Amino acid sequence: MRKIFYLLLLIGYAGICQQSIPNLSINNLENKSISLKSDFSEKDKIYVFSFWATWCAPCVQELDAISEVYEDWKKELNMELIAVSTDDSRTQKRVKPLVNGKGWNYTILLDINQEFKRAMGISNVPYLIVVKNGKIVFTENGHTPGGETELFEKLKNIK
Amino acid sequence: MKKIFLALLMFVFTAALFAQEQKKDSVKGRVYGSFESNSQWYLNDKKRDLKHDSIPLRSNNYLSVNYNYGKWTGGIQAESYLQEALLNYNPKYNETNLGIYFLNYKSKKIDATIGHFYEQFGSGLLLRSFEDRSLGINNAIRGGKVNFKPNDNISFTALYGKHRTGFDVGKGHIFGFDSNFNLSLLLKKTDYELTFGLSYVGRYEKSYFATPNFSELTNAYAGRLNFVKNNFYISSEYNFKSKDAVIIAATNKVSNDFIKPGSAVLVNFGYSKKGIGFDTTLRRLENMTFLSEREPQFVGTERTSLFYNDRLMNFLPSLTKQNHSTLSNIYVYQAQGGVNIDPTNGIAKSGEIGGQVDFFYDFKKGSAFGGKYGTKIAVNFSNWYNLGGKYTFEDQYGNYAPNYSTDFFATKEKYYSDYNVEISKKLSSKVNGSISYINQYYNNRYITGAANLLVKTNIIAAESTIKFAKTKSFTFGLEHMWADTDRKNWMSTSIEYNHNANWSMYLTDMYNYGYDANENLISHDVDAFKIHFYNIGGSYKKGSSRIALNYGRQRGGLVCAGGVCRFVPQSTGISLSLSTAF
Repeated sequence: MRKIFYLLLLIGYAGICQQSIPNLSINNLENKSISLKSDFSEKDKIYVFSFWATWCAPCVQELDAISEVYEDWKKELNMELIAVSTDDSRTQKRVKPLVNGKGWNYTILLDINQEFKRAMGISNVPYLIVVKNGKIVFTENGHTPGGETELFEKLKNIK
Repeated sequence: MKKIFLALLMFVFTAALFAQEQKKDSVKGRVYGSFESNSQWYLNDKKRDLKHDSIPLRSNNYLSVNYNYGKWTGGIQAESYLQEALLNYNPKYNETNLGIYFLNYKSKKIDATIGHFYEQFGSGLLLRSFEDRSLGINNAIRGGKVNFKPNDNISFTALYGKHRTGFDVGKGHIFGFDSNFNLSLLLKKTDYELTFGLSYVGRYEKSYFATPNFSELTNAYAGRLNFVKNNFYISSEYNFKSKDAVIIAATNKVSNDFIKPGSAVLVNFGYSKKGIGFDTTLRRLENMTFLSEREPQFVGTERTSLFYNDRLMNFLPSLTKQNHSTLSNIYVYQAQGGVNIDPTNGIAKSGEIGGQVDFFYDFKKGSAFGGKYGTKIAVNFSNWYNLGGKYTFEDQYGNYAPNYSTDFFATKEKYYSDYNVEISKKLSSKVNGSISYINQYYNNRYITGAANLLVKTNIIAAESTIKFAKTKSFTFGLEHMWADTDRKNWMSTSIEYNHNANWSMYLTDMYNYGYDANENLISHDVDAFKIHFYNIGGSYKKGSSRIALNYGRQRGGLVCAGGVCRFVPQSTGISLSLSTAF
């Protein structure tokens, strides 16, 4: 059995980079079902999916930091940030007042039972997935203070 | 089992090869998955009088591989616990085996799965199956599930299965039906949002009583309503669980003479617009412990499956703020959703009632409080009480005969409260700071039943991040807690250095001082005194991968995520964790 496990591990590593976002629908803050595939499909637009939670300090830090420069980013690039809350029912009710209280202008999705997070194989938040034309361009896990500047450089360099 | 496994293995193999082939033409097929490994090397620690476990090196490993082709997705999760699972994980995780397997078909209207699946109805007060590796929870349901969405406004889900437990499934049968309707869209109203949902959850388990005084099929129902207009919103949920035998906490057996229904009410409302957010949640739980097998099973001699959060039907999170300061997580509240009438310590409880209020405000840049960069403030209050009513321990002959009757709005003993304020501010383009004050009331006797102690704490926590060069930064944290009725003073310090987006290092320490070791403490055996709980570690991350190494002392106690907790033993050692997605 153990050998099989290692074998599977190998397949995993030999495995192919994930290419497209999963065909899932999750709710937004208004309880409306949003399709990840078809609702974020504008040609050549860059979609940054940021997985976060209200209790995750580095996540909130990152989204706060981006929020300050978000309007400038959008002026320079055709991009949108989608903040995917992985809060479960313990803290999910705090999402809306927190987002508004902080004055964030992001699209918010609620991944209440972590379907999206699981489909992406994410073990910890914060975690970023950058998508263009339905394809994943790059992913980034964790956040370091000031990391948003590097992120913006990377976004500008997407072909 | 073996056959299924081999069949799946073949499937994944061919799938992987197939996908390799197809990649050239960039057709529909794709392989994706993730790998996570958490290992710990438990060491001796003379100062703490700790001897490492007889198996000092332990590791939990999870590998999930999925293959998607058009509307079909198949996947597996193999798990390997070497040589055994990390300490205080369910000992049923003791081998290398297939934990999860499924096959899913998904079209625009239909989403169907056979094999293992996760699901949550409403807020999960009746049914939630999920995985949380840090807590060792995986209560996936093995069976079948169909979701049907005739249009965007209506959704139906039906499911049947049994809970995963270890590498096997439990004996209880689970039936579920859920429906959700978006009424405002159905009525073509656009000036408000109105959605509503109905759920049914059934749990069937044959009872060993010859003539059980309860139905072997427990029925649970829920109704939900959600309304949003402009900046205002309100939602409410009512859940009812039919009469069922109650678990007697002292013996972990159900009684054929203590039969009660359960209920849960949840109301949430708030108002929020740019720069301001106000939210209130109220909840009442009565006898809501709900397991797919009525009785917890003993795992080993002392602990039961309940201790390992095994075979839980529903999710009863504690509705308190999940504070991120280290010291505020020493006295953590766990939702008191169940019944416990214990004559040995005189505790009688049947649930909880209470609520929490959140307030967020953003002082604009340039305002008196906002300064040059603005100031953010978050206030949170929560209060939780035992249900008020009549509790009896004994019958007229002095025999143990637990019973209770509650009044809907009445409260009794206070379990817990948490009042906290957090102010965060950008001080300059390079410096951020935040300061919080937390006041907790923790009724240990009523929450854990362990000792006759009430703890009141005051915590001050400050944190500051200073950026320099282009990518480098330091984060400093300083916290102090006054917990006079237990272990008195706690101090916590931390330094984190981020070199760039890839490398970071940290050093933390926690120290407990000023106590009298002979005093009446919550627990004398949880941890030694006068020692530093230091930790040092570093991590490297790139893309979707992360590797982290840590050396240090872990305080014994509860580790909680989402209001569900796992008890971790005191330990000193080295831990290594690895995660990647592909």
